[in-house]
Amino acid sequence: MPLLEVSNLTKDFGGLRAVSHLSFFVEEGEILGLIGPNGAGKTTVFNLVTGFLPPTLGEIRLAGTSLVGLKPHAVTQRGVARTFQIVKPFPKLSVKENVTLAAFMRLPSRRDAEMEACRLLDQMGLSSKRESLASDLTLAEQKRLETARALATQPRLLLLDEPMGGLNPKEVEDASAMVGQIRNTGVTVILVEHVMRAIMRISHRVVVIHHGEKIADDAPDQVVRNPDVVTAYLGERVA
Amino acid sequence: MRRAGALAAIAVLLAIPLLTANQFLLHLGITVLMWTVLGVAWNLLGGYAGQVSFGHATFFGVGAYTMMILFLKLGLAPWYGMILGGMLAALVSLPVGYICFRLRGPYFSLATLAVAEIVRLVALNWEALTNGPVGLLITTLPRVGLGSRVLNWESKAPFFYLVATLALGAMLATRWLSRSRLGAYLLAIREDEDTAESIGIDTVMAKVTVLALSAFLAGVAGGFYGLYFRYVDPDAVFPIALSVEMVFIAVVGGLATVEGPVIGAIFLVSIGELFRERFLVGHLIFYGLFMMLTIRYLPEGIWGGLRRAFASHASA
Repeated sequence: MPLLEVSNLTKDFGGLRAVSHLSFFVEEGEILGLIGPNGAGKTTVFNLVTGFLPPTLGEIRLAGTSLVGLKPHAVTQRGVARTFQIVKPFPKLSVKENVTLAAFMRLPSRRDAEMEACRLLDQMGLSSKRESLASDLTLAEQKRLETARALATQPRLLLLDEPMGGLNPKEVEDASAMVGQIRNTGVTVILVEHVMRAIMRISHRVVVIHHGEKIADDAPDQVVRNPDVVTAYLGERVA
Repeated sequence: MRRAGALAAIAVLLAIPLLTANQFLLHLGITVLMWTVLGVAWNLLGGYAGQVSFGHATFFGVGAYTMMILFLKLGLAPWYGMILGGMLAALVSLPVGYICFRLRGPYFSLATLAVAEIVRLVALNWEALTNGPVGLLITTLPRVGLGSRVLNWESKAPFFYLVATLALGAMLATRWLSRSRLGAYLLAIREDEDTAESIGIDTVMAKVTVLALSAFLAGVAGGFYGLYFRYVDPDAVFPIALSVEMVFIAVVGGLATVEGPVIGAIFLVSIGELFRERFLVGHLIFYGLFMMLTIRYLPEGIWGGLRRAFASHASA
């Protein structure tokens, strides 16, 4: 059984169909890339899976159990954590407190939660920023903080929404390595990304969506040769 | 150091009725302490959870009427009535919270304003229960024996000690909350609700819980009001001005602090009472001026500003 199975997922915003009969799955231990041009519906898929939006139609199952109709916090409690495309730290709280709050869900004692937070900040290379305010971090650091915070809920499945967007090449390099590390700790990852080079290298499989529909689902080297994908990204060949 | 300061402040507070028999001073102290309880109540929800309520008079009024009605119709002693009033206020807050917390930011605030107005109109028109605009009056309070003596209700001292206990209890509750996991969750909600949900916090549940706690305290304060003034009518306990005053006290004192509401109450109630003597309605000008100066120069409130000054002094 796949860890996450999405079938026939559809979301309408008024007359606009943002996601249309989308089906895909993720196996335990996989890194799945989810790509598509701007406005393809990638973030909407994340919002549907994590309960931030109710689907119009379709089914979402985590290890066979439906997530549809659950509030976001309940989805997190079942083992799905996420980051946000536009980072959303708790700006006026310290970096450590940001992660500690998330660790509370599994570790009710403050001491345990703080220890877990410190361990994760270490893993994300943010140890030296522990006491800084979250709002004082650079964008790259805030993205790592978001990931540390998501990991503090001890997820089985981690949804990363553009963890490399807006980063410089060196930072992209670090972020790719980090995604690999996270998977090695036993967390399955779905990655929405615009930075093609990075996603092609680290994903085991790539799902491409365009206008809310799936147009490809294959190994990275196959996807880049897929004519539909090329058309979606570059437009139709003129004459 | 901090503990010593707090104990000294409590000792001074409890000594006040022994040091003075000045009725005006005692009345001022009682009023300050009652508003402290209300400021604390509002601060739990508004300061810690960042949910701005403009309708907290609802809970104050429900507490006041509950105490009065239970005493006048069933003969239940006012101190039990105060606790039951707080509990009923908390009960009333549950559906209010459950419905209104689906709305966020200004919509929640507007909804609380609407609820307060609805409850005020119900109190005004449900004459069989509330006596409508005429209000409810307690003519004699029950005898309370203290050993061989009898409590003198004509003195202000018993009221002072009662409300001082309530204020201290409310502040201890704030301290407990600020160190609890729920308190940490409320900070997360105040900072960003979506993120709070995304890390597994049931935000509606957390907000409903703190609203109930806040309503309980406001309701108990309402019960005390009824006991102290022995008279309650809809304009006295349900006006919007009362809801707004709670906001002012918490904001001027310092949001999300244990000490803030008592500081806010000391300043605002004193300014109100002292200038009213001299300038009648003109006292509102001083009140307004004071609000403006505080917000301009001490945006974290008086206590917040003091704490910052101490912190920078200590580290210098």
